[in-house]
Amino acid sequence: MSILPSLPYTLDALAYASAIGLLSMGLSLTYATTKVPNFAQASIAMFGAVTLLLLIDRYYYYHPGWSVFLAGVVLGGLVTGAVAWLVYVTVLKPLADRGNTVIGLMIATFALDIIFVNVLTAYLDEAHGVHIPKLIGASITSFEPRLHIGDYIVYGYTIALPITAVVLTVIFHLFLTRTKFGVAMRATIENPDLASVLGVNVNLVYMVSWFLSGFLAGAAGALMAYTLKGVDPSAAELIIVTVFAGSIVGGLESVYWGLIGGFIVGLAEKLGMTLLNNFYRDYFVLKWHAPNVSLLNYEKFMSLGLVVVMLLYAPRGLAGIDWGAVARRLGLRRGGGGR
Amino acid sequence: MSVWIFSDAFLITLFSFITVAISLNLEAGFTGIPNFGKHVFVFVGAFAAQGIGVRIAAWIYEKVEPQAAQQALEHLRSMVPGATWKSLVGAAADVDANRIVVNNYLRPFFVSHVGLEALLVVLLLVVTVALALFFGLIASYAALRLKEDYLAILLLSFAELMVMVLFYQSQSLNGGNQGLWAITFTSDPVKFALIGSGALAFISYLYAERLANSPMGRAMRAVRDDDVAASVFGRDIAVIRLKVILVSSVLAGLAGFFFIQNAALSTSMTFNRVIWTFLPWAMIILGGMANNLGAVVGAIVFLIGKRLFEYYQIPISNALHLGSSIVSALLPNIFIGIFIIVILYALPQGILPEKPSKTVKFEEILESEQGEEA
Amino acid sequence: MSEAPMIEVRELNAGYGRFHILFDVSLEVEPREIFIIVGPNGSGKSTLLKTLFGLTKVYSGSVKLEGRDITRIPPHARAKLGMAYLPQVGNVFAELTVAENLKMAGYTLEASELEERIRDVLEVFPFLKQKLNAKAKTLSGGQRQLLAMAMALIREPKVFMFDEPTAGLAPKAAKEIIDKMLWLRKEKGKTIVLVEQNAKLALEIGDRAILLVSGRVAYRGKASELLADKELGKKYLGLKG
Repeated sequence: MSILPSLPYTLDALAYASAIGLLSMGLSLTYATTKVPNFAQASIAMFGAVTLLLLIDRYYYYHPGWSVFLAGVVLGGLVTGAVAWLVYVTVLKPLADRGNTVIGLMIATFALDIIFVNVLTAYLDEAHGVHIPKLIGASITSFEPRLHIGDYIVYGYTIALPITAVVLTVIFHLFLTRTKFGVAMRATIENPDLASVLGVNVNLVYMVSWFLSGFLAGAAGALMAYTLKGVDPSAAELIIVTVFAGSIVGGLESVYWGLIGGFIVGLAEKLGMTLLNNFYRDYFVLKWHAPNVSLLNYEKFMSLGLVVVMLLYAPRGLAGIDWGAVARRLGLRRGGGGR
Repeated sequence: MSVWIFSDAFLITLFSFITVAISLNLEAGFTGIPNFGKHVFVFVGAFAAQGIGVRIAAWIYEKVEPQAAQQALEHLRSMVPGATWKSLVGAAADVDANRIVVNNYLRPFFVSHVGLEALLVVLLLVVTVALALFFGLIASYAALRLKEDYLAILLLSFAELMVMVLFYQSQSLNGGNQGLWAITFTSDPVKFALIGSGALAFISYLYAERLANSPMGRAMRAVRDDDVAASVFGRDIAVIRLKVILVSSVLAGLAGFFFIQNAALSTSMTFNRVIWTFLPWAMIILGGMANNLGAVVGAIVFLIGKRLFEYYQIPISNALHLGSSIVSALLPNIFIGIFIIVILYALPQGILPEKPSKTVKFEEILESEQGEEA
Repeated sequence: MSEAPMIEVRELNAGYGRFHILFDVSLEVEPREIFIIVGPNGSGKSTLLKTLFGLTKVYSGSVKLEGRDITRIPPHARAKLGMAYLPQVGNVFAELTVAENLKMAGYTLEASELEERIRDVLEVFPFLKQKLNAKAKTLSGGQRQLLAMAMALIREPKVFMFDEPTAGLAPKAAKEIIDKMLWLRKEKGKTIVLVEQNAKLALEIGDRAILLVSGRVAYRGKASELLADKELGKKYLGLKG
C-alpha cells in the first residue's frame, strides 16, 4: 500500500484545514481586540452549520447547485456574526464593565459554549420533521454538487472551502488596510488608549471584531458540516481544541498567522496523521509486528503536540518568529553547503 | 421530597464535589492558576479503580488462587466467543468480560479476604496519588511558564485529549465508550464510598483552611495578586505553584477514586468537562473565590439547586412547550450556563467574598520584609 | 477670556490608586510659552503631565484649560478641547504605516480636510514623504518622535505636552525635535509643556519652569534663572556648576 493518501482524502484534509484556519483567524481577532480567549468559538460556528441545514432543506433539497456554498457562507456567516455580536454586547461587555477579570470572562465563554451546544442540539431535535421537514437526521452529505475527474469523485465542498478561505481572507485584508475603520481596528489592537484619544470608538471596534469573528466562524462552520459528515453541535467540543491549537501556533494575537496556524494544525491532524499512520502500518505493523492500532483515532494529539513544540521553542507563535533572520540563516547554511 | 437530598448517592456526589471545589479553589482562587482541565485530575482516581484497579485485582487473584483463576478464565472463554485475552488480567479490563470478572470473581474474593482487600485499597490509593502527581507535574510544567489564558487553553486541551480521545475512543485502556466496572470494596461499597468521600471532604477543608491562614497561604495570594509583591515576599513562586498544583491534583484524584466506588460502571466520559470542570468552577464562583467555606457553600447550594431543577424538569419543559425527552435532558446544562453568567454579573464576588482582613497588603509585605531584615 | 492662562493648576493632589505622588502642585502656563517641568528621577514629572491629560487619579485640586475646569473630564474630551499629549513611548502605531498613522491622527476630521492637513504637515516634516508606506516601527527613535509631533499637529491643538521626547536620542536628532518645538511656538503660536530629563537642553529653550522634588514644587520661575541657580542645579538636576 502506498504511504500517500488518496486524492479525495487529501482534498478533504485541505478543506478541513481551511475551515480550522478561518475559525482560528476569528478566534485570534477577538483575542487581539478584547483579550478574551473565546471557548465558544467552535460552538458558535455551529450556528452556521444549522443555517446551512435549513437552507438545504428549504431550497437545495431537490436541486443541489453550486450556489449552496455561496448561500451557506453568506447566510451562515451573517447569522453567526449576529450571534457573536450579541455575545459581546449582552454578555462579555457587561461582565467586563462589572469588573470581571479575564478568568471570569473565560468562564463566561465556557458557559456560552455549553449553552450553544445544548440549545442547538435541542433545536435540531425539536425542528426535525417540523422546521426541517425533508432532511432525515442531520445528514447533508448527499445534497451537494460534485465533479467527476477521471476515476475520482471530487466533492464540491473540497473546492468551496479553500476558495472561501482565500476569498474571505482577501476581503478581510482589504478591509483592514483600505478602509478607515479597518485601519482604526488595527490601530486599536495595537494601542487602544492612543486610538481612543484620537477619537476612535473603541467599543464599536470591539463589537465589529466580534461580528467579523462570528462571520468567519459561521462561514467555516457551514461548509465544515460537509467534512464532519453532518450537523452535530456536540462535535464543537473537540473542534475547539484544534481551533485553539491553530491560534496558539499562529501566536494568538495575529489574525493572519492565526489563519496560517489553523491551516497547519488542521493539515497536520488529517494529512500528517495519515502519513504517520500509513508509515506505522507499513513498517512497524507489517515488518515488526507492532500492535495493529489505527493512529487515526489520535489525530487530535497532532494539534496538542504542535502547540507544545511551539510553546517550547517559539512561545509567541509563528507571528513572533523573526522570519528575516530565519531566511538569512537558511541562506547562510546553503552557502556553507556549496563551498 | 426530603428523601433524595440525604440519599447516599447524593451525599457521595456532594462530598466529591466539595473536595474538587476546594482543590480548584486552592489553584484558581488562592493562587490564580486557571485550571480548565480539572476533569482529567478527577478522572485519574476513577482510572485507578477501573482500568488499573481491575487489572491489579485480577493479578493478585491469579497469584493467590491460580486454580480458581484458571477455571474462571475457561468459563469466561466459553461465554465470550473469540476472546483474545490470555489471562484473567486481560479479561478484567475487556469490556465483554469485565462485568463478570469483577462482580462474580474479584469482588467475592476480596470481600472474603479482608487483609488482601485492605492491601488492594492502599495500593490503589497509592496508584491514584502517583497518577495525580504525574498529571500534576505535567500541568505545573505549563503553569510555571505560561500566562493565565494560555494556561487555561492548554489545560483544557490536555484534559479533553486525555479523557475524550485517549481513554474514550480506545477500549483497551479504560473500556472506551462501553466503560468498565470499577473494583469496589467491602460488602457495602456505597457505605465505603460515603465514608471515604465524606472523610476526604472534611480533611480537604481542614487542610485548605490551615493552608490559607498559614504564611504559605498569604504567599499564594501574593503570587496571585502581584508578581512583584510575591518576589518581594521572598518566596519562590515556582515552588508555591508546584506545591499547590500537586496537592490539588491529589485531592481531586482521591475524590474521583471514592466517587467511582458508588458509580461503579461508568465510561471515561463521566468525567467530562461540563460536570467536573465547569461545575466546580461554577461552585467556587457562586460561593466566592479564595474562600474555602465559599467553595463548600457553593457546592451545596449548586447541587441542591441542580437536584431541585432536575426534580421539576418535566413540569418545566412542559411549561416551555418542549416536546421531546432529549430536550428536557439538555435543559439543566442550558440553565447552569445561564445561571453562572448571571452570577458573574450579579455577584462577581460570590456569596461569601474573600475575607479582606486576611489578605496581606503590599505595604504590609514590604514592612514585614524590612522587619525581618532588620 | 484671553486674559486666562492656557493651563492653570491649583493645589493638585494626584497619583495612581493608593499611591499618592503629587502634593499640592500649583502652576500656570501662559499662551504661546514654552513651559518646562524638570526634576530628578521619580519626582513625579511624568505623572504631572499625565494628570494634566486626565490619565491619573485626582484626589483634590483643579486643572483648568483657558479658564474652563477640566479636572474630571476624560482624556479624549481633553483632546477635543485642544490638548495634545505625546507620551515617551507608544505615541505612534508601530504596526501601521506612516500614512495610516497620519490618517488615524485626523480620525474625526472630514476626508477632504484631513487630506489638506496631511499635505500641510508633510511640508513641515518633509522626510515623512519618502516614508509614507513604511511601517512606523521601521523609523528611528527620533523620526518616531517627529511622526508623533506631526500626528499631533494634524489635530491643530492649542497645547502640546511632551514627555521626555529626546530621551535616548542622539544629539542631532534631539536638536531636530527641539527646533520643531521652537517652530511650533514661533510660526504656529502653540503653547508647549515639556517634561525633560535633560534639564540643560530644556531650560535653555524654555520661558518659565518648575522644579519638582518628591511630588512638590521646589522652584517656580524663569527657566533661565533656574538654569543659573547653581545650588538647585547641582542638587537636583545634575548640572555642573
